Amino acid sequence: MSESTFFTLAFIVYFLAALSYLAYLFSRKEGRAVLGLRLAFAGLLLHTLALVMRTVQSGHAPFTNMYESLSFLAWSSVFAFIIVEWKFRLRRPGAYVLLIVVALMALASSPLMPKDATPLVPALQSYWLWLHVSVTLLGEAFFAIAFVTSIMFLIAQSREKKGRASGSGLSADRLDSISYRTIAIGFPLFTLGGLVFGMVWAYKAWGSYWSWDPKEVWSLITWFVFALYLHTRIVMGWKGRRSAVIAVIGFLAALFTYFGVNYLLAGLHSYA
Amino acid sequence: MRSLYRFFTSVKVAIVLLILLIAASILGTLIPQQRTHAEYLARYGQLAGLFEGLQLTRLYHSLWFIVLLVLFALNIIVCTLARLSAKLHRAFRPRFETEARHLQAMRVKDKARLPLSLGEARTLVVRELARRRYRARLIEAPGRVFISARKRISGIFGSDVVHLGLLVILGGGIVSGLAGRRGDLTLRENQTVAVPGAAFALRLDKFSTDLYPDGSVKDWKSRLSVIEDGRSVLERTIEVNHPLSYGGYIFYQSGYGWDWDNPSLELLVKKKSDPAYLKDLRLHPGEKAPVEGEDIEVMVARFIPDFVLDEKNQPSSRSPQPNNPAAFIEGKRGTETVFSGWVFAKFPDFTRLHSAKETDLSFELKDVKAPEYSVIQSARDPGALWIWIGSTLLMAGLFLAFYWPTREIRLILGENQGKTELEAGGLSTKSPEEFKSEFESLMSGLRKIR
Repeated sequence: MSESTFFTLAFIVYFLAALSYLAYLFSRKEGRAVLGLRLAFAGLLLHTLALVMRTVQSGHAPFTNMYESLSFLAWSSVFAFIIVEWKFRLRRPGAYVLLIVVALMALASSPLMPKDATPLVPALQSYWLWLHVSVTLLGEAFFAIAFVTSIMFLIAQSREKKGRASGSGLSADRLDSISYRTIAIGFPLFTLGGLVFGMVWAYKAWGSYWSWDPKEVWSLITWFVFALYLHTRIVMGWKGRRSAVIAVIGFLAALFTYFGVNYLLAGLHSYA
Repeated sequence: MRSLYRFFTSVKVAIVLLILLIAASILGTLIPQQRTHAEYLARYGQLAGLFEGLQLTRLYHSLWFIVLLVLFALNIIVCTLARLSAKLHRAFRPRFETEARHLQAMRVKDKARLPLSLGEARTLVVRELARRRYRARLIEAPGRVFISARKRISGIFGSDVVHLGLLVILGGGIVSGLAGRRGDLTLRENQTVAVPGAAFALRLDKFSTDLYPDGSVKDWKSRLSVIEDGRSVLERTIEVNHPLSYGGYIFYQSGYGWDWDNPSLELLVKKKSDPAYLKDLRLHPGEKAPVEGEDIEVMVARFIPDFVLDEKNQPSSRSPQPNNPAAFIEGKRGTETVFSGWVFAKFPDFTRLHSAKETDLSFELKDVKAPEYSVIQSARDPGALWIWIGSTLLMAGLFLAFYWPTREIRLILGENQGKTELEAGGLSTKSPEEFKSEFESLMSGLRKIR
């Protein structure tokens, strides 16, 4: 079986996991959330096989074009989700996270994304490709989960204000704390992969650790936004609505760093 | 001075500075940086002058952006120092609670009655704490024991180490900006070029381009020799991602090109009247070559690697890439020019020769070659080392701050009719949930003792 077979299988299993979590949202039967998590895990294994096969076939890290990096972002999101789920047993965000994953997989498999494994241009032939991209995307995956829980917080809070149950079954307070904890996991990863490894590689490949290239600047902006989140929260005691809004902005900045810069701003990072 | 210090201790100032840095950084990605005046004029019209005046066109190197960074650094220093003494105090002088009501006011708390003597209970509690890697300190009073236990206390210094790392990185950036040197060396094979500012030279021994089977570029490699006092002291092949470090300089494979002033061309000569006639000419521009069996000499008067007609309708080169190689050839009989015209390698049918009389000869530009040269970037960046030191501190600090959460438990043991009353409270701001379950398991472990 080929890489694309496993990719498709993973796609289907993620989709089933999303359905299972959705069914849980409507019926509140614990078993459906448990099934959802198991399916997500099974999908992750299939997806891992697909990534390994692609690596073997192409001979390089599986994130050198948009198709590959979307697929890897989906993989890291599921991975981060399973970690968060294992740590905090939230159940409810599963439906939303997996719907995002399904959307990423759909985008990756759309005909707009060339899927051919092309040989690596000289600048990408480095083990730093592995370190820089994988750790960055893993950090961003945690930001994505915090984005989901922050949106859920904003909804829960507005419902609680109207005197109704939060709707998601998780209290606004808990969603607020989970968002923070998830960002606290993602922030060091993003710093390490995106900024530090990025600087080391830029120094080895381009001869300068920082060039104010738009992608570099946008990852710095993302970093500043999350630094803002952490300082307002830890030092100034901000919580709740204001924190959630910053977390959402931070993730949007990360998303723009990842997608927007490639399509809207020209620079050194014009690979994917 | 004092009020200035107080101003910088405010985290609100840090927040405002962060927001300003974010806004400025975004602006810098919206306005293309470091372009020519003409480009800005075309893009922004009258605003161009304003943008340039405000240094928005070289924003990240502008005075006001640097001032912003300096204020940011000052703020980091002052905020960190202002909080450091309290943290040192907390780390080296563990706090004990002597009143049960303080313990019961903590977020995580519990109480229990142990069927043990005070001495036994003390030993048990310390052992159970140690099993969970807590370090316990004790104060003993008649009939009472106060315990202060904690682990991963270094976690409270995480943010300080992060801030120190950031300052070192900013310092490294300043050193790079002031003392960093960067330049391109263009070398043909066997050419030696002095490295500007250094006491040695570089010689390119060999330059090669590796291709993938599909023809795309796999790698560029330059075999370099470091020449000191006329002798080669080091030989090394560099490629993209594998630079050479020598004498405080780093040499990167940064590009390549062709020396189109010295191309060698291959021309095919055919005869319309005789399909079997085929002659192969190899020549350099300016060189005359006789055509076999004819009393004509051919000369390439001009060569263009990427032929295009410019706005004045004059032939020029669009790029240094050999995308559309073209040669202007002249056929001469003695000093008389018999025919002349452009010959295109990629478009042989496009060739038009102007001649006084009809000529029987036709020409094709079969192949063009030029000596390749390698572009080596030489960089001297004494700031880079500080960037790596700062980055290491930054990551160590983040690890401490987020993955090494400090946990503290304080207990009071009191003797009551041969048994021991235990009151406990704990706190961990960074990992409240894991701490709560650890605390609960500790307490249930203690309760199990019969």
